[in-house]
Amino acid sequence: MINAIQNVITNPAIASIAQNTNQALIVETTLKAIGRPSFILMDGDISKDTKKYAATKELLYQATCLLVYMALVVPVFKRGVFKLAKNSEFFKKFDDIKILEKFNSADEVLDYHKLTERSLPERQKAIKKDKYKNLHHDLLKNLENANEPEKYPLVKGVVELGNITGSVLGLAILAPQVSHAIIHPALRFLGLEKKREPEIKSENKLDTQV
Amino acid sequence: MAKEHLLKQLCISLGKNNKPTYAVMAIAAVKGICRPAFTIMDKTEDPETKKYTALREGLTEVIAIPTYYVLGEAAPKLAAKMPKELQTMAKKNLMFLGVCIAAVFAIPALCSIAIKPLTDKIQNNHKKPKSLDVNTLSLMSAPQVTSTGNPVIKPAKLSTFSSAKIMTGMKVGGV
Repeated sequence: MINAIQNVITNPAIASIAQNTNQALIVETTLKAIGRPSFILMDGDISKDTKKYAATKELLYQATCLLVYMALVVPVFKRGVFKLAKNSEFFKKFDDIKILEKFNSADEVLDYHKLTERSLPERQKAIKKDKYKNLHHDLLKNLENANEPEKYPLVKGVVELGNITGSVLGLAILAPQVSHAIIHPALRFLGLEKKREPEIKSENKLDTQV
Repeated sequence: MAKEHLLKQLCISLGKNNKPTYAVMAIAAVKGICRPAFTIMDKTEDPETKKYTALREGLTEVIAIPTYYVLGEAAPKLAAKMPKELQTMAKKNLMFLGVCIAAVFAIPALCSIAIKPLTDKIQNNHKKPKSLDVNTLSLMSAPQVTSTGNPVIKPAKLSTFSSAKIMTGMKVGGV
């Protein structure tokens, strides 16, 4: 049991997810989408209908956030910031950013960084995969021969800053607006929410009744 | 030049160690400002409901930020018990685990404990006692009648009774 926990805690795959903003937020939102509705359903203090309503609403909210994030925010900001960093004059003022020319995409930056965290034998085995065959030969040489390959923190940091900015805009501003537009019609479709009836002026109604 | 240097340092720092707490705390901070602002700007809602909802949304994020920080920073301390060569990896993973625990368990639990008493306290502090004078009382007590002499009965709106709304369960992120 202790060994199993130790294996999870020291798993390099989890560490790589933890260091990648997009992957960390996708895992966190997925856990929220499963965990929060489950806890609402387990709550013994509220009625069945309320539990069903609140759990469905929470599930729909988290699921919409996840979809918006994965479909829109991740690709747009990841690609956008990478292109911006490669082409804008502002970023060109940073000397070390020139190394960005050797990368074709933000994913390549993150993949390269992931490999630098591994031991030399693991790296030598991993770079034979098709996924890494398009890496620049200088980067491949670096990974294949160096005991501690250069990590290019500035380049990785630029990609992560773009990811954090995109995540903030997406999850704090865009996703709540989208889910606001989707959740209530979805709840009505599922029969968990009634349509709002237009208010009838009580005075006129009473007069006609008399 | 100072801005460029600052941005460069920020990028290098993120590149060397991108803690999962950075993103979640930034999201919570922006949510804490924007969501109450959007709620207040909504013209279709009743003003009292708007105030309550905005306060609730703001407080949720006020609770979320320190919770993410505390659990995200406290969890890696458990790595000290691991063998030295595994500590760096364990610290990163435990921090991520701490953030996930905060998001799934700690924040909803803290919100369900703290938000209701806090909103009640804040709202009660803002309610001033109304001064009653004789004229107001006499006007209030006089029943309104229609042209046929029947009393006007205005049906109460649901929004009048805050206790009638569904406010149970772990409402953290929902709309």
